[in-house]
Amino acid sequence: MGEVAAVMYLEDVLLVDRCLTGESAATRELFRRHRHRVHACLFRVLGGNRDMDDLLQEAFLQVFQSLRGWRAEASLATWIDRVAVRCAYRYLGQRRRRIATDSIHDLAGDASDASGALAAPEAGPGARRQLARDGVQRLYAVLDALSPAARLAFTLHELDGRSIAETAELVGASLTATKLRVWRARQRIEAAAAADPVLREFLAPGSAAIARIASDDTEAP
Amino acid sequence: MRLAGRIPVEPLDEDRVVQIERAVVAGAASAAARGAAAGQTRRTLGRAAFALALAAAGLVGWMLHRASPVATDAAVVRVESVAQRQRLDIGDARITSEPGTAFAVTRPDGGVLVAMARGVVELEVGKRGERPPLVVRAGDTDVIVVGTRFTVDAGDGKGDVAVRVSEGVVRVVHGGHEIRLAAGEHWQNRDILASAFAPVPRGANGTPDRTAQGASAGSNGASAPPATAAADRLDSHAGAAGDAEPGAPEPRAPGDRAERPAPSANADPHASSDSAEPRAPSANADPRIAGAPDAPGGLHDRTAAVPETGAPRNRIAQTPDVLRDRTAAVPGASRDRAHDPSQRRAASDTRVELAAAIRSQPVAPAVDLGGGDAPTRAIERYYDIAAHRSGDEASSAFYSIAVVEHLRLARNADALRALDAYVRRFPRGKEHAAALWLRVRILCLSQFDDRCRAAAYTYLHEAPDGPTTSVAERITQTE
Repeated sequence: MGEVAAVMYLEDVLLVDRCLTGESAATRELFRRHRHRVHACLFRVLGGNRDMDDLLQEAFLQVFQSLRGWRAEASLATWIDRVAVRCAYRYLGQRRRRIATDSIHDLAGDASDASGALAAPEAGPGARRQLARDGVQRLYAVLDALSPAARLAFTLHELDGRSIAETAELVGASLTATKLRVWRARQRIEAAAAADPVLREFLAPGSAAIARIASDDTEAP
Repeated sequence: MRLAGRIPVEPLDEDRVVQIERAVVAGAASAAARGAAAGQTRRTLGRAAFALALAAAGLVGWMLHRASPVATDAAVVRVESVAQRQRLDIGDARITSEPGTAFAVTRPDGGVLVAMARGVVELEVGKRGERPPLVVRAGDTDVIVVGTRFTVDAGDGKGDVAVRVSEGVVRVVHGGHEIRLAAGEHWQNRDILASAFAPVPRGANGTPDRTAQGASAGSNGASAPPATAAADRLDSHAGAAGDAEPGAPEPRAPGDRAERPAPSANADPHASSDSAEPRAPSANADPRIAGAPDAPGGLHDRTAAVPETGAPRNRIAQTPDVLRDRTAAVPGASRDRAHDPSQRRAASDTRVELAAAIRSQPVAPAVDLGGGDAPTRAIERYYDIAAHRSGDEASSAFYSIAVVEHLRLARNADALRALDAYVRRFPRGKEHAAALWLRVRILCLSQFDDRCRAAAYTYLHEAPDGPTTSVAERITQTE
């Protein structure tokens, strides 16, 4: 085992052991080490969501309740991600097609507003940022119509940047099934983008809106 | 559609994070308490069932004992001795733990890792031959074993570690330094701390130890940093067990290692180990058991199978051809070809040619260290850069670790782990495409299987303009 991997692995084993003895400092340390990644993963799967705090808490409570089941076959981070993905899956199942994204109702303006925004990309950074936000909202509106399994596969692979193999491992499906789900989700999104200029602009490679929002990225470290 | 890393994550409100953390810590504490209670109940029920089974029939009892939960397929075996010594047999080693000891056993990459949280373990390890070593980790000290019998005392888990070797040789790695301990020798890190603050280390008779001082100055010079000098003193303190404790006399805790008698080289191993390890009486320890640890019932014997952590990889490698064919694009056609010798030959030629094409693509560390460092030293330097710098510099160093692991050490599993960590840590890092290609190279030179093709697919997807796309495309078309 290489130095880096060995250090990470041993730290994980020892930290988990300390957590299992009920040591609150270890629990806090494990939470702090992994919370940014778990939060980012949940956020990308579910979008901006007023239940996000509860979901993060629920995910970590699940982690600590199941910690005895960690067998060190996968890294602790992967195992925690799997627990978080299961939480997201349950949440999607319970609230299927009714994901309470924070500002989904703000989309009422629809294409007329959108075309106005698109007509004036040079209007300033504020307008482009707004356009990017609209693009994200519309993307998640399309994702809300997908099955939980397809949504998970697509968001983990395309939005969270995980490989197909890793995505398949996290969702507990075969590589082929995962590829198929991602492909189908992509088809749905491209079809929606064909009818929605804001979404089309957002998805376009090198989009000014994307570049802008990326530079304003407020992502947690 | 390339959206990875482009969805900004809104940070949580810090006050809310604090609330979540409190709720999680409270929930975890109750979960741990429930787990401990459940464990106690399971242990109680297990003992009752075991006794009943013994009374009913020895054979049935034996079978029930063999089927105890610990002996199943857990990859991690965690042991927490409360009031009894426990003996755990994991096949290639026997681990005896004192009351109040907690440790976990895993099998990373074919080796054995005993990670201690606290307490004392004694190990009897068979010759490991070519197999990866057994490592006992206590705090920041590693004891690396090839085949021997020794004791590791992790104290209360707060840093004090003592190692005593009864048979064979072990290597102790602490603070980046390594020493060898032979039978009859002992080592403890408390001495290092004591000697690091003492002006001159003392020898066995309590006088200043000029040999140790000379060794320290000789290897590091007069300007050696205190930590290094202390570590050098560490080497000089690895003496025979019969030596007095180095360092000035100091108040000692009950059960201090210095008070232990030296084990005799020709003494009965069981007798010596038990008599040589008087421990501080544990609050939970049963004095009858502590006095006669090997008395019937005094030891809680268990046998545990600890499967290798790398089992999933092995499963992939051992997948029968017929199953692999099922994942091909046209299963029927693939099977037909599999029965046609000429097609098989052609496929084999294609793979050989493809492997040559993969090898011909240059791969090199992204950071030139400008010297002929040994691979492990190079990795340490890269790790130092990756851990303490940021941006492209850290990204390049991290990628270089994977390259050295693969090219110079042939430790492909470690290289893949480093690459996974790289991609996670630097999602848009400077060497992103190179890291994805290195993953393709490692996997596909091992086997043209689903993992290899998935890696090539990922490379094409994420680095469509990369320099090796044509080779990656051909890989995705292999069967």
